[in-house]
Amino acid sequence: MADLLGTFEQSVLLSVFALGTDAYGRSILNRVQATLQREVAAGAVYATLERLEARGLVSSRLEAGTAVRGGRARRYYALAAEGQRALGDTRRALTAMWKNVQLEVR
Amino acid sequence: MSTAGLTPPRWAEVLLERLLPDDARETVAGDLREEFVEGVLPQRGLVGARLWYVRQVLSFVPWFAKEGSGMSKILLVVSMFTLACGCWLAVMEMVLRHPGFGERIGVALAIALICAATILARMLHVGFRGERWLWAGAAVLIALGGQAFLHNARSAHFEGFVFVISLVLVLQGVLMLATLGRADSGSRRSLDAANSLQ
Repeated sequence: MADLLGTFEQSVLLSVFALGTDAYGRSILNRVQATLQREVAAGAVYATLERLEARGLVSSRLEAGTAVRGGRARRYYALAAEGQRALGDTRRALTAMWKNVQLEVR
Repeated sequence: MSTAGLTPPRWAEVLLERLLPDDARETVAGDLREEFVEGVLPQRGLVGARLWYVRQVLSFVPWFAKEGSGMSKILLVVSMFTLACGCWLAVMEMVLRHPGFGERIGVALAIALICAATILARMLHVGFRGERWLWAGAAVLIALGGQAFLHNARSAHFEGFVFVISLVLVLQGVLMLATLGRADSGSRRSLDAANSLQ
């Protein structure tokens, strides 16, 4: 089993998955903020994406930019098979940890 | 809505581009510009949106700091520490005004200036081999650190913070010579590698 993912990494990976073909930096940032219900620093999201890509959990490709971006390119991300596996492993581990735990969660 | 003039602070955009590696510079700056114009500006107004932008740019500092070789990372941290120390010492001297404070303010500001130049050089990814100022700056730091260390060691009142700062100054001088002597492209991944995934 690969190293388990942290909460933020899971949030970023799940956002990439949920956004599908529209997963680029800005949309991922907004999705992560909506999921975690707090403002998130862009630097944290991009640093996480870079780390996840280096680990082979996501892949990326460049596409042409739009006028509002000053013509700057967009980098689109996609969940890699290894990323799906890591999410599955993490979910199973969390489920196993919480199994039979009677703690009242507030 | 016309967005003419409704842009992020230019200095912040330049800083962001300096903080980012080659392959992320364009895409990240584009994402933030897009979010600034379409997402934040309509909600928070120009001042609020610009403050948001500056906060986002600063959030890239840790990412920037971890790039480069181990020595250059240490140099960056050490330079930031001594820059803060130099500014703090200058302010304290200005407030307390003990005899000879003018000279000490000059020394503190010189240290701060060298540190700021070092950080800037690291951010601009430039090398300074053969540049006289680099050797002079490093020599000044090593000399000041060494002098402060010896003075403190011989003094009847040993002061811990002088001990730490003096060692850090010497370390910074050595690291400046070791790391700024060569150019650092700052590039992490090539665009070609990213494009090949298409």
